[in-house]
Amino acid sequence: MSPQNPLWQNLFKHKEDRTSQVTEMWMDTPLFDKITKRECRDLVKTMHPRFYKKGEMVFNSGDIGASIVLIRSGAIEIKATEKLLAELTSGDFFGEVALIIDEPRTADAIACEDSELIFFLRSDLKEWIKRSPKSGAQFMLNIATVLAARLRHTNILLSMQNS
Amino acid sequence: MLQILIQHPLSKTFFVFSVICTVLILMAVLLAPLLIPIIIAFTLYALLEPISAIFERHELSRNASSLSVLLILVAIGALSVSLLLPHLSMQLSTLQSQLPVVWQSITTMGNDFNQHITASLNLDIQSSGISQHFFNQVDSWGKSALIEGSNLLISLSVLLVLVPIFTFFLVRDFRSFRNNLLDKLPNSSFEMGWLIYYRVAHQLQGYIRGIMIQSAIMCVITTIGFYILGFDSPFLLGLVAGTLNLIPYVGPLLAMVLPVLLALGHTPVEFWLVGAAVSVILIAQIIDNVIVIPAVIANAVNLHPLVVIVGIIVFGNLFGFIGMVVAIPVISTLNIIFCGLHQGIKTRYNLKLKSSN
Repeated sequence: MSPQNPLWQNLFKHKEDRTSQVTEMWMDTPLFDKITKRECRDLVKTMHPRFYKKGEMVFNSGDIGASIVLIRSGAIEIKATEKLLAELTSGDFFGEVALIIDEPRTADAIACEDSELIFFLRSDLKEWIKRSPKSGAQFMLNIATVLAARLRHTNILLSMQNS
Repeated sequence: MLQILIQHPLSKTFFVFSVICTVLILMAVLLAPLLIPIIIAFTLYALLEPISAIFERHELSRNASSLSVLLILVAIGALSVSLLLPHLSMQLSTLQSQLPVVWQSITTMGNDFNQHITASLNLDIQSSGISQHFFNQVDSWGKSALIEGSNLLISLSVLLVLVPIFTFFLVRDFRSFRNNLLDKLPNSSFEMGWLIYYRVAHQLQGYIRGIMIQSAIMCVITTIGFYILGFDSPFLLGLVAGTLNLIPYVGPLLAMVLPVLLALGHTPVEFWLVGAAVSVILIAQIIDNVIVIPAVIANAVNLHPLVVIVGIIVFGNLFGFIGMVVAIPVISTLNIIFCGLHQGIKTRYNLKLKSSN
């Protein structure tokens, strides 16, 4: 053990690495647009990492949803009525609707590889909004932008199907 | 048939709920000697946690903010003890000196009442009749309350040491302890577990903060009322009314007993004072129901009034005064856990049925 690298640094290194990496991943998403890295990092510390085996359900359509999920590693399939909607990989996020409303999930999410997912709970978001109302409002605006973009995309798809 | 019954969401919910209840009861039994300091520490945690969050927002570490909260708690405690205790002990000794006179006056009034009934209705009511029995009962309650009061003072010193320590560690470590515990849940129940936890925490925090504010307001209003009426121990009576207000529905009725007895203790009996003492509690209750409850407690606990009353009586019978105070938060917590579990298990069951069809 070198003097530059004392024991306590080694003890917390792994956790710090993960926090930094997850912070970078969230900062790359449109959800943390115009939000400082420091605030994002503080928020990441309240998030919950979970590990899923290949083929394991992350959630089913109809399940109670309470969080948005970021894929740290692995891959996730999003399906609705057995139809593949999207295949998401490291850095992607899903389940953002549950961050806004207390409604059941509308699609299935299945791990198609061994995956590490980071859950950001609605309750933690509410606490963060109370603590940092300005950044919280910006985050909500960013979510609204993401949801509006998805709605627009769905509308275009529907109109193409109809025509 | 048996398999269908076992797999039914309601029976599954009952099973999981029973396991949770058993664990909670076992913990309560194991921690029985420390239960009161733990309950008070959790109450203080609910009140002080937002202050700690403010400190953390201003760049203070978790340790420093928890320590600051502890210092604030100790300072407020020391200040209230130094300011209020002399007044309180003076009023308590006045009340103690008044009580024998009050009992005597009430007993005389009871005997007069018996004689009046006997004379006017020509009935032979023995001194050991209903009214005598009632006054004897009140006398024994009064004596036991005084003994319990002195026991309470002894345990108060233990609480003064334990509660700040427990509160400090709760403010500092509860979040990480909770995260570690809930992260142990399997992936399939992880979100459901957090959702139930937050519903319980949100409801309990709202209830605790609301009821404390409500009791403080009740204490101030009744103290002013009893002071205006010229009672010798207005602050003590207000404090008793505020404390009893922690028990919904039943508390305000119990709060009337002491001032009414003191008013009856006056010789000759001044019935306007009895009415005025009852009015003070009633006016405080009206202000409470019209202004305080809608603004502070509204929807903090969604329980039927009958459930509340039965719960208070049952818990009071089992665990005494503390049981009456914690009855509503405990029933409300169990209600949320049961509903949350049932919702989650039912959704899974319906999905299973859908996929098998």
